Amino acid sequence: MFKSIMAWVDERLPITEVIKSQAIEYPTPKNLNYWWNFGSLALMVLIIQLVSGIFLAMHYKPDAKLAFDAVEHIMRDVNWGWLLRYMHATGATFFFIAVYIHILRGMYYGSHRSPREILWWIGVIIFFLLMATAFMGYVLPWGQMSFWGAAVITNLMSAIPVIGEDLVVWVWGGFSVGDPTLNRFFALHFLLPFVVIGAVGVHVWALHAVHSNNPEGIDLEHKDTIPFHPYYTIKDLYGMGVFLILFCVFVFFAPNFFLEPDNYIQADPMKTPAHIVPEWYFLPFYAILRSIDFLGQMSKLVGVIAMGAAIAILFVLPFLDRSPVRSFRYRPISSKLFWIFVVDCFVLGWVGYNPADAVVLGSLPIVYVGRAATAVYFSYFFLLWFITVFKIERPLPVPKSL
Amino acid sequence: MKLLRIIQAALCVLLLLPFSVGVSLASSGGPALPQQSWGFHGPFGQFDTAALKRGAQVVVEVCLACHSLKYIKFDQLKQVGFTEMEVNALASTAGKNRKDALLSAMDADAAKESFGIVPPDLSLMTKARKGYENYLYGILTGYLKDEDKAAVDRALEDDTVSDAEVKELAMLLSMDPHHPDKIREVARRIKSGDNFNKFFPGNFFAMPAPLAADGQVTYRDGTHGSIAQMSHDAVTFLAWAAEPTMADRKSAGIKVILYLIVLTVMLYAVKRRIWARIHH
Ligand code: HEC
Ligand code: HEM
Repeated sequence: MFKSIMAWVDERLPITEVIKSQAIEYPTPKNLNYWWNFGSLALMVLIIQLVSGIFLAMHYKPDAKLAFDAVEHIMRDVNWGWLLRYMHATGATFFFIAVYIHILRGMYYGSHRSPREILWWIGVIIFFLLMATAFMGYVLPWGQMSFWGAAVITNLMSAIPVIGEDLVVWVWGGFSVGDPTLNRFFALHFLLPFVVIGAVGVHVWALHAVHSNNPEGIDLEHKDTIPFHPYYTIKDLYGMGVFLILFCVFVFFAPNFFLEPDNYIQADPMKTPAHIVPEWYFLPFYAILRSIDFLGQMSKLVGVIAMGAAIAILFVLPFLDRSPVRSFRYRPISSKLFWIFVVDCFVLGWVGYNPADAVVLGSLPIVYVGRAATAVYFSYFFLLWFITVFKIERPLPVPKSL
Repeated sequence: MKLLRIIQAALCVLLLLPFSVGVSLASSGGPALPQQSWGFHGPFGQFDTAALKRGAQVVVEVCLACHSLKYIKFDQLKQVGFTEMEVNALASTAGKNRKDALLSAMDADAAKESFGIVPPDLSLMTKARKGYENYLYGILTGYLKDEDKAAVDRALEDDTVSDAEVKELAMLLSMDPHHPDKIREVARRIKSGDNFNKFFPGNFFAMPAPLAADGQVTYRDGTHGSIAQMSHDAVTFLAWAAEPTMADRKSAGIKVILYLIVLTVMLYAVKRRIWARIHH
């Protein structure tokens, strides 16, 4: 019965064929390590966000007078509402954990190199969309940090010459962040995840056209591949189990760990919080923005450009790296630069978390740390290009096959 | 043996969380917050019913004079263990009935007139300040004792505060002795009657000590109402009010995580079996 229905369908839409070739027999390198789990983990969190978000939207009210109370209504009165909200808020954090590891994995093993540039670019676009989505989502509970975070970040657009000031008013829908801003952010926060879904579809399409890279960074012969199912279906499921345990520890036992106390105070346009901090996943970029403070009038504009460039530079990464070898396993200098870069991202995050006028290690103004760390951040990309284009780095011998 | 390592790591996270969450991110300056033990912290911590009932009494009899808890209705107090009769009695001490929310009798205009500011709603207060419960406890217990106030007055008697007196006051007020001018200024404000609190950022604010006298609240269960006891109970109740669903959350969490651990162990076993076919 089922067989004959499937046969009827397959004649018209080859579902069985696609599943077989793309999810079951799909040849996958046999040497992928656990860093390759984070793509499927990101997809899992995306689904968690979509499902919890849609249920939240059924009880939420995008109105400056009602939003804060609506979130408390969800937390207190809606059945399992606290679970929805804590899953969604913690989900944003775990989304970024998965995506950051996923991106760093690609940078380390050279997954952005030819022929995977388009695959990589779509990934960077997804990352941009994700940041926009998370930023607008954080505004929705309409707490103090929601409001003032939105005010600080949207205000950055005023640095754009000529049109900046008008642009900000247009985005706000008024002369300050207010009810119209909240309304449109809700509309966009609802929409963008579905754009992300579309982009993820293209991302996977591009992946299946060029196939996975692997820790050796070499092109594999057919004998070194294994079918996706059951090998990677089970490995991904196991990874999801571990990731979900960690996720649930936070959802159930420390759900406010990543939330700012100030966001449990309703937004008050008359009262600026002592210390405005963005969500942790924006902190490195926020630190880069603030560390450009020595150019007088131009500081703000250059800061915004630097912040944008910090992400946009990922687009050109495939062309900066000129080494004949993809994987950093065989690249002694690049791999060291990479780990310096990773540590530097944490330093930037720490700088971003602290007040701009903080003084550290006795008497060192933290902006100096921020400027140095910003320089290190961009130097990574420059040095990667430099040592490969002038063949300063001598790669170790690379195996021809596994 | 990766599995063992992962389980170990997960357990460590589970065990360390209650501590790490309790660590207050004390803002720069200011004395360290008192580190009280809160039985409801940690994955297995639940509220102590007796403490909740006492705390509800303190909050209704004292704090409600100025503050509201707009997200809580008297009726909900049944959830912390009150009977319907007790709820009615408690509501009537506040001039309300059990269907009402815990709203202060003082309206916003009257509050502004008396204090220059509307006292903030307390329903979310334990979640809305860095330091959480310990900060609230600090606020309630961080006022000067009568003998400390007397010492401040004594220091100001001859209208000048000597360097020796500055040192003494610095100890008393938990302030940095390297800023004598600031200490002198603070001493003058204390003498003029401003509300000094060790733990409030900036030290002065509009709330007069709400729990100022030993035995201010006569507990129905006979517990002696010391300031520390009343403060601890009030904060416990406010922590419940900030998240009445906490008990559900933790009991669900334990089941979910146990389930996930069993599932993940099984998935790992299957994974090992399947991957055993591959020869590296
Ligand atoms: C006489 C009126 C009054 C009473 C009674 C009172 N408060 Fe207050 N409370 C205030 C006022 C006014 C403020 C605002 C202070 C300010 O921000 O300047 C305040 C602020 C607070 C704050 C916020 C401090 C901060 O960090 O902003 C807390 C917490 C608080 N009260 C707790 C309590 C508790 C708990 C009780 C009962 C034990 C209580 N209050 C009783 C008037 C009162
Ligand atoms: C890309 C995936 C998504 C991310 C990264 C994301 C992120 C966020 C964040 C950070 C918040 C604030 C959480 C808080 O502090 O309470 C939030 C709130 C919210 N999101 Fe999302 N979200 C995503 C998808 C969705 C979807 C698909 C919907 C609905 C269709 C949705 C609906 C909501 C609603 C209604 C709120 C307000 C309620 C609340 O604050 O808890 N989200 N989101």
